[in-house]
Amino acid sequence: MKKILRYITTSCLMFAFFSSCKKDITSLNENPKLPSNVDPGTLFANAQKKLTDILTTPSQFENICRLFTQYWAETVYTSESRYANIMTNNIPGRFWNVLYANVLKSLYEAKKLINAKNAGIDAIAKNKLALIDILIVYTYSVLVDTYGNVPYSEALNVENIHPKYDDASTIYNDLLVKLDAAINSLDISKTSFGVSDIIYKGDIDRWKKFANSIKLRMGMRLVDVSGSNAKNIVEQAVQSGVFQSNADGAMFTYSTVPPNTNPIWENLIQNERNDFVAAQPFVDTMNALNDPRRMAYFTKVGNAYIGGKYGSQNNYVAFSHVGDRLIAENMESFLMEYTEVEFLLAEAVERGFAVGGTAEGHYKSAITASMQYWNVPQPDIDAYLLQPAVAYSTATGDYKQKIGTQKWIAFYNRPFEAWCEWKRLDYPVLVKPANAASDIPKRLRYPVREQNLNKEAYDQAAGAIPGGDLFTSKVFWD
Amino acid sequence: MFALPVVQLLAQTKTITGKVTDEKGNGIPNASVSIKGTKKGAIANESGNFTITASEGDVLVISATGFSSGSIKITTQDFYAVILKDDLQSMEVATALGIKKKKNELPYATQRLDGKDISQARTSNFVNNLGGKIAGLEIKRGNNLGASTNVILRGNKSLTGNNQVLFVIDGVPVDNTNTNTINNTKANKNVQISGGGGYDYGNAVADINPDDIESMNVLKGSAATALYGSRASNGVIVITTKKGTKGLGITFNMGASIGLVDPSTFPKYQKEYGGGYGALYESPDGYFLYRDAAAGFKLQPRPSTGPDLVVPFSEDASFGAKFNPNLLVYDWTAFDPSSPNYHKPRPWTAGKNDPSSFLENALSTNYSIMLDGGGDKGNFKLGYTNTTDKGILPNSKIIKNLINFGSSYKIDENLTASGSINFSKIDGIGRYATGYDGTTASSKNVFGSFRQWWQMNVDVKELKDAYNRTGKNVTWNWSDPTKLSPAFWNNPYWSRYENFETDSRSRYFGNVALTYKINSWIDVLARTSLDSYDEIQEERIAVTSLGVSRYSQFNRRFSEQNYDLMANINKDINPELNFKATIGTNTRITKQQSIFAETNGGLLIPKVYALLNSKNPIEAPTERITTERVDGVFASATLGYKNFLFLDLGARRDISSTLPKGNNAYFYPSSSLGFIFSKFTTDAIPWLSYGKVRINYAEVGNTAPALYVKDYYLVPTGIDGVPLATVDDIKYNPDLKPERTKSFETGIELAFLKGRISLDITYYKQNTVDQIVPLSVSASTGYGSKIVNAGNIENKGIEIALNANPIKTSNFSWNIGLNLSRNRNLVKDLGPGVKNLQLAAVQGGVSINAAVGEPYGTIRGSNFVYLNGQKVVDADGHYLKSSTANEIIGNVNPDWIGGMTNTFKYKDFSLNFLIDARKGGKVFSLDMAYGLSEGLYPETAGLNDLGKPVRDPVAQGGGIILPGVKEDGTPNTKRIDMEYGTLGITDDRNPAAAHVYDASYIKLRELVLTYSFPAFLIKNLYPIKGIDFSLVGTNLWIIYKKLPYADPEEGLSSGNVQGNQSGSVPATRNIGFNLKFKF
Repeated sequence: MKKILRYITTSCLMFAFFSSCKKDITSLNENPKLPSNVDPGTLFANAQKKLTDILTTPSQFENICRLFTQYWAETVYTSESRYANIMTNNIPGRFWNVLYANVLKSLYEAKKLINAKNAGIDAIAKNKLALIDILIVYTYSVLVDTYGNVPYSEALNVENIHPKYDDASTIYNDLLVKLDAAINSLDISKTSFGVSDIIYKGDIDRWKKFANSIKLRMGMRLVDVSGSNAKNIVEQAVQSGVFQSNADGAMFTYSTVPPNTNPIWENLIQNERNDFVAAQPFVDTMNALNDPRRMAYFTKVGNAYIGGKYGSQNNYVAFSHVGDRLIAENMESFLMEYTEVEFLLAEAVERGFAVGGTAEGHYKSAITASMQYWNVPQPDIDAYLLQPAVAYSTATGDYKQKIGTQKWIAFYNRPFEAWCEWKRLDYPVLVKPANAASDIPKRLRYPVREQNLNKEAYDQAAGAIPGGDLFTSKVFWD
Repeated sequence: MFALPVVQLLAQTKTITGKVTDEKGNGIPNASVSIKGTKKGAIANESGNFTITASEGDVLVISATGFSSGSIKITTQDFYAVILKDDLQSMEVATALGIKKKKNELPYATQRLDGKDISQARTSNFVNNLGGKIAGLEIKRGNNLGASTNVILRGNKSLTGNNQVLFVIDGVPVDNTNTNTINNTKANKNVQISGGGGYDYGNAVADINPDDIESMNVLKGSAATALYGSRASNGVIVITTKKGTKGLGITFNMGASIGLVDPSTFPKYQKEYGGGYGALYESPDGYFLYRDAAAGFKLQPRPSTGPDLVVPFSEDASFGAKFNPNLLVYDWTAFDPSSPNYHKPRPWTAGKNDPSSFLENALSTNYSIMLDGGGDKGNFKLGYTNTTDKGILPNSKIIKNLINFGSSYKIDENLTASGSINFSKIDGIGRYATGYDGTTASSKNVFGSFRQWWQMNVDVKELKDAYNRTGKNVTWNWSDPTKLSPAFWNNPYWSRYENFETDSRSRYFGNVALTYKINSWIDVLARTSLDSYDEIQEERIAVTSLGVSRYSQFNRRFSEQNYDLMANINKDINPELNFKATIGTNTRITKQQSIFAETNGGLLIPKVYALLNSKNPIEAPTERITTERVDGVFASATLGYKNFLFLDLGARRDISSTLPKGNNAYFYPSSSLGFIFSKFTTDAIPWLSYGKVRINYAEVGNTAPALYVKDYYLVPTGIDGVPLATVDDIKYNPDLKPERTKSFETGIELAFLKGRISLDITYYKQNTVDQIVPLSVSASTGYGSKIVNAGNIENKGIEIALNANPIKTSNFSWNIGLNLSRNRNLVKDLGPGVKNLQLAAVQGGVSINAAVGEPYGTIRGSNFVYLNGQKVVDADGHYLKSSTANEIIGNVNPDWIGGMTNTFKYKDFSLNFLIDARKGGKVFSLDMAYGLSEGLYPETAGLNDLGKPVRDPVAQGGGIILPGVKEDGTPNTKRIDMEYGTLGITDDRNPAAAHVYDASYIKLRELVLTYSFPAFLIKNLYPIKGIDFSLVGTNLWIIYKKLPYADPEEGLSSGNVQGNQSGSVPATRNIGFNLKFKF
């Protein structure tokens, strides 16, 4: 017995002794449950999804544009529709974080992996890199259109945790250079990401049209600040080939299976929230035009489409709700549509750019494309276009007002773009609600986190905005 | 005692009994009693009673650890009371490694508690019983059933790491992880503590059997703990368990207590106005829906005749119509077909039963039996404890079963083997949901509704009846008469009985050890220990509840093994110089494995809570495995000169697996000096019976958490077969270095008047530098945070412990123990260019932060605008708000904490009470912020300064004038309507600072009255050797507090995010009895 115990003591001693001179124990600190390397396509697919999610979500805490554009009104809790509590609820921070830390981070990481993998970059890899760059350009343009100056040249490098903010128009110019380079390097004869490209399944031809359409949009954004430059950009884009039909649209298809379902369904249906009804300014406009898209956009109350008062509390059951098609699990969402291209072209003609066609023709095509997408029968489309309040020659106001109003109606499910174009065209005329905390925001303020974590750069950026870091200051092209 | 030594039965003797007590009259357990000049002896039981056979004229020698020995001569008497004097110099306390040292040798601060101090006013988590008893120890207990307890010694030292005290049992650490609900859908997975909903599953140290605790020694500073390694840098509570003693002893304990909700910690409600947000609805006055009951309550077509008033029950606020019994309205009950009130209007009145009637009385019972015994060669102990706690909410219960066994055996003169094993099983059902559950699982926390979102016309009893009658989610908060589903809240009874959690934890911990005495001055200890548990947590949202129905399961396995080898040397080099040394190695291997899975998109079949019942294929479960290993070698030496001067030197070197290769070995030293100056002052200052000064300095290195070195990709669920990957939000760091704590401490121990007064004062200063922290970075870097070595937190403070016996006679004694401590905490540095580290963003636009130049735990949010110290209002009469939502509006740290224990003993009675106090520190109350907005509290109703109903429009003399000044500095005279948001935070009305409250309190924490049946009564009750009967009250009275309608101590969970209340649980006053039999 004693012997046995002495043996135990000795073996404990031995263990203690040998354990202290064991091999490198840091190998224990590995995570067997996560990959340390992935296919770049998985990151590219993730970027597409995150970008579409943030532009689609109806959550006023993540993307508040459906309120800014007065498509929807809130029911019980109304502070956001009165532009109050936007900072308190960190709305600017959530939008910013998704675009930088999810979308751009995934894109840059995919780029890094492709560059690391291929000693000599082949044509397929080149295509992939071009697609990544197109989405990078798209994402940065959203950031600039929202905030103005943002971190760009020093962004996405975690070694530098205090990136400076770059001038918005300088960023725009650089993005256009980047976009041209991407367009030029696309090789239509070669493949790219395949199924990981959820939007176009690797169809380079349609990517090229998408890239040119983005270029068209960005060019038009510049018309009021740099007319001749804008003219060049727009004409080049059209020449190189923009969207020709609804089939060309940059469409992201959601799944019927959570968690990859459409955020509208998640917020309104899955979470059973009764937070929104249709807003009166929008519904009344459509009612006045007898717009057949109402059927898709909204539900009826009794026999009518009724909008709730924007900025006030509304009784959920008393007003029209979001239409059935929009609240399907797998409702698709667009980064860009053909209808947008046609609206831009109508305006380009008015501005005297050589893009072909007439303003009226493009205007009609734009409305027709939108209505066709929303499954409006052709006779109804024709009848709509014939109405004096719609027809290009007779509708109220100048081209900005005509196009602005119809864009607003057509962009119902693309609230971010609707907000930007409202800012640029100043139409439709939206009225801030009574007891609003400010005028209707024309940009988002920088996130509180930036003030805390990147203060020097933030202070500089805020100082560079005429009027300061306010919701009512304008971005450079506005 | 059942068994007496056989030899004694043969002698010509009589049986005598006696009791050994200290000078305060407390029984001294396990005192040894022997007959001088013989080998005969006995051991006193737990309360100091002993029985021995002896002859007249024999001399009994009585000795006990920590006391001077005494003797007594046997006369004709049968009963002997023996009082032993405290021997401060030889009182033994356990150090972190489990080595016992005499208190006077220790050149650093420690404080000891008896097991009795913890178990007499027992709660189901013994940690709660430490509050107010140790200077410098901040205990913050939650009111939730089985809540975790925040245990901090000398302030928060780590920016984002663990700040909780380490518990060590008999030299072996026990894990104290808090595995509160993990939210996998959020980037910050542990949102429970930030108020984002979930459950507080308690902390794991609550598995320790309080009946097995012999004593606790609290080691406060690094010098005391450095040898133990980095995990001890937050201070250590060393628990010594009971050891079997000679003969056989049995103790049986039973107790029960009832917990009554302390009404000062639950809302009082206004009862004048009912549901709604104002005059916003369909009826002509705007306060009601206006529907035609005969036409199915449809909105369209508008009723042409006989319109009916329907309560706007979808609105979870009470800014509706003034109650008027003559007004007949359809309320929520009118839409429940099973209700007698179905489709009938009723008078518009306040609900008869407000939410306080939802709460039940808590009930706790406990039984325990402890057996111990031993002989010359060995001893054993065996204990079993069962505790059942029923909470104040329906369908809540926690059952604990604890078994412990320990034994040691002397194999020969030099070799002793010992071992212990503990098994615990904790089963919980219906812990209270915490915080603000947001949009997806809203309404689980019924306190959130009762404190923030409620209609005063609702009668809770009717909700109970509706649930019991139908078994369905019949709620007061229907969306609309034509849409009978919950708008924001379920029926609270439905929430409790259908959307409940269950959890279970099975745990083993124990050790085996061999001690070999090589010679008279060296012994060697080899010990291996294991702490291992499995836990499962299941959460449910039933079909037809608000939001997505759901079932989730979290499984976690934890194991830690320690291998220790130590040589202890104790040698008198010469009569004046004593040398003690310890040299040893420790290897610790900690493995954790968990898996979390939940249904996707809802449940198919109601009431089947299984993953297979998922509406959509479930997403891949989240798995995590980590292994950590630290190999340490350590050595210490204590030189004692003539028993008055002690020098202690220590050093330890660790090699850790969680730091990068090359940076993962680190060394740290400690040195301490103690000087007992009273040796030289006995003649000059005769009233000073003991005096010692201590001074020490120590450094402790600390390693990184697991998986902080290498980057991995995250893999979200693919979209229709297309795989997705993302980059982790955290950038890990392959160049991490160990962090380091540097601490200095000095103190003085004094005793006066032969020890009737003793005083211990300590000053300390501690800096933790190079902290391993996830540094928040601008998202434009692509990351949310980056792991770096940065930061410096300083804690300095003073601790005072005073003990006095103002009265001491043979029949009556009075003892006072007083503890006071103040800690000043300062965040000195957070890394280059970083001024703020956000610990949590909580609901209400408020965050808890570490900011440079501020204490750890600053509350930030929007502030008032002040002019000459007055709050400024705008032209409309509302408060102006600071331009950013980022102002410092509070600090969660108390100015000081303290406790006072008074013990009175009269003959066989003893009365003991503890007053626990906390001065200062702030708390943000989301409950007040929303509850005032929604018109729940009396502040929002009643009469104004003009004697008019405050809710009347200003034009009719109603409304209020907010205290403050106009922008020109003149007093505010603008009267504003009392409406939704006027006093609260919603609607952007008031700054968050309006709902930051002083968290000070004074509480009567414990009151215990004990009667020990005297020996002459017990004598006839063979085999019973002792009976103690106690009446026990805990948390009886909050003597002082400033936070309205809630307990200022209440928090969401233990951890680094404190100072935020959301749906907070009221406190209970617990009153019970305890009956203890000794055999």
